[in-house]
Amino acid sequence: MTLPHLADTTGGSGAGRASVLARPVLVACSALAALAWVGSVDPSEPGHYPTCPFLAVTGWFCPGCGSLRALHALAHGDLRGALARNPLMVLTVPVLLGWWAAWLLRCVRRVPKRWVAPGWSIWALLVLVLAFAVARNLPGAAFLAP
Amino acid sequence: MTQYPDEPDGAEKGEQPDPYASPSPDRYGSLPPAGSPTPPPYGSPNQFGSAPPPSRQPPYLQQPPYGQPTTPYGQPAPYGQAPAFGNAYGQPMGPPPQSYLVWAILSTLFCCLPLGIASIVFAAQVNSKWSSGDFAGAQESSEKAKKFAIWSALAGVIVVALYIGLIVVVGLGSGLNA
Repeated sequence: MTLPHLADTTGGSGAGRASVLARPVLVACSALAALAWVGSVDPSEPGHYPTCPFLAVTGWFCPGCGSLRALHALAHGDLRGALARNPLMVLTVPVLLGWWAAWLLRCVRRVPKRWVAPGWSIWALLVLVLAFAVARNLPGAAFLAP
Repeated sequence: MTQYPDEPDGAEKGEQPDPYASPSPDRYGSLPPAGSPTPPPYGSPNQFGSAPPPSRQPPYLQQPPYGQPTTPYGQPAPYGQAPAFGNAYGQPMGPPPQSYLVWAILSTLFCCLPLGIASIVFAAQVNSKWSSGDFAGAQESSEKAKKFAIWSALAGVIVVALYIGLIVVVGLGSGLNA
């Protein structure tokens, strides 16, 4: 079997670079479009978005409740309002941005992914999400509720 | 599409190469997906310099396992033997399997789907098993994480579709009553 990926070791042409960058750029454009949509269509108005099915069925807040309103607030530069709606979601935004930047950098440098997040960190994230889900339904932690 | 460098834990499903497809020349000759804005650079395809082939399979699975030529995934034969191959190579050489953690976070925190909790569990399994050398187990968990990512996306689409359908029905009903 020939190995076409080994045929060119001198770096890509312009066309190759453009297509390599296509996916990060596409993801960024999609995210910005979604942010623009949520920023312009107010989730606080009833009827604009469906109610969270988990909340509708159980009556409990899930870890994602309030995210649309938080994104709406973020789109309008209201960080405090966003944190009041869903602090955990707001905290993940810089993480996601960093992930995207690392992905873009890998695409530009044309290196494959070598590093993976240690497993314990994702288990810690799971514990954090579950604790957040429980806490925001407790009466003493109203600041976590959406 | 196998030529792209990796993305953050599966930010785009659907365009992923099937990591379980048997390695065949078709991987390089296949057409790009329909929605792809620009074709992948198959003509000048080196993305990685002198890096190993961009296959998402760990190299040990490209070896014919004990005489079986490239047994496809889903058939359990090579699973138990796979870690032995990986250990024989010393370090994990292929790219690590996707954990689809981004999808898990998106569905958990940016949507409202408790399916995302399961996605986080499988994402954690992928990286834990990969770190501990259980490469076959990591691939297995990666496949489950992928399924849950797809299910989460589908569930979101279904909820939105039901909601739009409900609005239409309610709108029609109120229109008839008025």
